[in-house]
Amino acid sequence: MNSMHSASLDATTGWLILAAFSVLWVILGAYLGRRSVGLEGYMLAGRKVGMALGTATAMATWVTSNTTMAAPQLAFQMGVWGMLGYSLGSVGLMLFAPLARRIRVLMPTGYTSGDFVRLRYGKTTWRVFLLISLLYAFGWLVSMGMAGGVLVNALTGIDYRIGMTVILAVCVLYTMLGGLRAVIGTDFLQTLIILVGIVALAWLAITHVGFQRMHDAVLAKRPELLDLLMPAAIMFLFNNLLFGIGEIFHSNVWWSRAFAFREGVGFRAYLTAGLFWMPIPVVAGFVALTVPALHLNVPAADMVGPLVAAKLLGSSGAILVFIVVFAALASSLDSLLAATSDLILTDIYKGHFRPQASEAELARAAHWMILGLGFVAWLLCLPRLTTLAQLLYFMGAFVASTIWPIAAGLFWRRANPRGATLAMIAGTGLGLAGYFLIGFYVAALISAAVSMGIVLLSTWLRPDDFDWARLAVTSEGRS
Amino acid sequence: MTISAGALAWLVSIATLVTVLAPIVLVIFWIRDLVKGRLW
Repeated sequence: MNSMHSASLDATTGWLILAAFSVLWVILGAYLGRRSVGLEGYMLAGRKVGMALGTATAMATWVTSNTTMAAPQLAFQMGVWGMLGYSLGSVGLMLFAPLARRIRVLMPTGYTSGDFVRLRYGKTTWRVFLLISLLYAFGWLVSMGMAGGVLVNALTGIDYRIGMTVILAVCVLYTMLGGLRAVIGTDFLQTLIILVGIVALAWLAITHVGFQRMHDAVLAKRPELLDLLMPAAIMFLFNNLLFGIGEIFHSNVWWSRAFAFREGVGFRAYLTAGLFWMPIPVVAGFVALTVPALHLNVPAADMVGPLVAAKLLGSSGAILVFIVVFAALASSLDSLLAATSDLILTDIYKGHFRPQASEAELARAAHWMILGLGFVAWLLCLPRLTTLAQLLYFMGAFVASTIWPIAAGLFWRRANPRGATLAMIAGTGLGLAGYFLIGFYVAALISAAVSMGIVLLSTWLRPDDFDWARLAVTSEGRS
Repeated sequence: MTISAGALAWLVSIATLVTVLAPIVLVIFWIRDLVKGRLW
């Protein structure tokens, strides 16, 4: 693949944009994080985040490179159902709203999703959960780091590895400096940039190409993209729905926000974020349907979004899409760095190796965790191993297996540890079998179905009688 | 079964309209939180 031929920005302009926004995010992150007090302030922004910042951070974190770059890719490969299936990712945000409220009530002093699984189900389930959660977190980190390199390469011709390195380094730096306050504060500005940019690109695509011309060209050259009965795409739709729910229900990215939001904010913030997120994959993705009308040669499906923007709008379009995707990448990378380092710090470092660690020691270690995590992600991103969507959907088998153990564990006293552990292991195993034997679009579907069956059956056969007070009392005992 | 040009236009237009509203609502929330001292 020679992306230099399609690059519409010169490297100097690319470097100027990268430098300007890098400086902005680092200064803003450091400024916002200056008032973080103690470990709770650094990890959870003082647990008083309001509705505006809460809604924006949920939206921005969920609008990742996978939305701004993989939504056009999926529309290009699966047509209308590709982008509609992607927009069902918003259901996960909306369904998490009641969970966020429940989490805040049951665990007013909790720190991580691992805390909940350990206290609710015990150590064996906790370790299985940590394995799944950390694998997913690294998969997501690598997919976004790779997206950063692909974007910079596609739009400016700057080497993939250099672009990826710069974007990762900037996010690591400001997350280290300001903790969750920096992450949430920058997310607000990044959300506004993303939304305005996506709408501007969509509007220009509509006015430059028009729906009728776009429709006629797709019908002539790629009619399957307009087919509403495309079987693989319909499977993808349901698979993506469950994948999104699994990602959100288990990931500490969303749990840490539930802990960080001011009392009463979690439910409204997640619901509002889901409603406003739903149309974004359609707005970002439909531009891929202009490819036949524009007679565009797309050398790699995961570059279709930036290439269409560059073709439609020239260098100003390339600048716009560059800024939008940089904001989308940063808003998710910072969240993932913060939440995953929290999980490693609390559940691995303190939970397994240093149970007596003081708050000061943990606060110091938190900074090093973010740095180390960024370094490992960088190493994994260096070889561009697979396309973004492939990497993303490989993880579907893992995360979908956690939906039922998490939801049942939060609301049903009778859900039991053995059932939760088995549901995650068997769901993941059979979901992966589906991924390799059938296709990526069934991995989450099979995983969630198996997990559901096991949780329901085990709860019915061996009901537990969990005391909810154990979640609050024990978590208050933390340092 | 193929989606018509009209249905595609309707789908994309509605999605774009909602996406236009989102930043406006967020800024309104931000001002309200700031006034009430509930931003952080």
